[in-house]
Amino acid sequence: MENDNELIANALNGSLQAWEALVRRYEGRVYNYSLRLTGNRDDAMDLMQDVFLGVYRNLARFRGESQFISWLFRIAHNKAVDLARRRRANPVKDQALPDDPEDWPDDQGVDTGPQALAMDAESNAGLQLLLQTLSPEQRLILELKVFQSMTFDEIAMMQDISANTAKTRFYSALKKLRALMEGHHELSPDP
Amino acid sequence: MSCHQTPEIVADHFDSRLSSQARQTVQQHLAMCAECRAEIARLTPAQDALLQWQHESVPEWDRSHAYVHAQAHAAQTHRQPLPKRHAGLSWRDAGRWIPLAASLILSVAVLTQTRLNVTEQGWQLSFGNTSGEAQLQQLDAYMTAYADRQQQQTEQMLEVALGEFGDSTADTLVQLADWFEQQRELDIQRMEAGFQQLLDRDYQTVNSVQQLASYVQYQGDLP
Repeated sequence: MENDNELIANALNGSLQAWEALVRRYEGRVYNYSLRLTGNRDDAMDLMQDVFLGVYRNLARFRGESQFISWLFRIAHNKAVDLARRRRANPVKDQALPDDPEDWPDDQGVDTGPQALAMDAESNAGLQLLLQTLSPEQRLILELKVFQSMTFDEIAMMQDISANTAKTRFYSALKKLRALMEGHHELSPDP
Repeated sequence: MSCHQTPEIVADHFDSRLSSQARQTVQQHLAMCAECRAEIARLTPAQDALLQWQHESVPEWDRSHAYVHAQAHAAQTHRQPLPKRHAGLSWRDAGRWIPLAASLILSVAVLTQTRLNVTEQGWQLSFGNTSGEAQLQQLDAYMTAYADRQQQQTEQMLEVALGEFGDSTADTLVQLADWFEQQRELDIQRMEAGFQQLLDRDYQTVNSVQQLASYVQYQGDLP
């Protein structure tokens, strides 16, 4: 099996086969990343395609100084931030909720009603629903820390913030997720 | 919650890539801090819920999309070739290239200090400063000839004037010389008188300064 650098070199020389092999190697991680951030399959596919388009366009700039996966996820991070900005410009689809659940308005574009929250938080669908009620920044920091297993220093560098700020954001995101889950269990009938 | 370290301790506690030394520090803090222990206990289900994520397979999609899209984009943005040029210059386009050519020739002529010398024998083209010395010699010769001509003209004028006035002018010249001598002596006398006045004024000034100094000293001696 060819390593990443060989596939990249061949793709840059015009080999479609090498490019597809490179995509197949990482598409699963990028797709699941996109799914957690966007909350639905269609948007996840769009984000994933956008990420790989960005990767291909910038492939000649990859110097091999870092791991390809790290470089790829920097592009994915930028695309996710762009998407969050676009959604913020169109707040009907996505809007951050206040920290206190009592302050949540009824219509946030995300179904947070009792039936929706009655879904099992341990399933992907239930977790996606919970994640969609977080702000894009909170969702992103949970993604980078929990799923991408980045260190706080790496996250700080990627987001141009201090490591302490990254830790505080992570703590706030986790706290809000827990508050959502507690609300969910309060609404769910006791077994 | 009253512990100000809780955000950092909680974040470090859930950090799977925390160094063993940092983890030891967190453990030491948790051993002493009930607030942080309680917060970690409360948030652990949230972390666990995230880790329950089941990896989903990617739906079938066109993996060549980025490749084809980028190739098409590159082809669109590729620079269009310039229109084919004529092999030679055409007089039909003379209005466009003649001014440019003239400007170019003039620029070259200025930069190379080109000189065109037109004489009776014909014309000569020279570049740079190589002819500077020869030109200086020519200028010297011209100036010498001009001076000679001027001297000859002056001598001719004097000869004519002397011829007209003859010896009668000799007495007038002697009287004029005497008058100049008298004026010179008068000027010397006036100059000596002025110099004496100047000396007198300086002497008075020195006396005034001495008087002023004595007065100041006198005032300073008063109790």
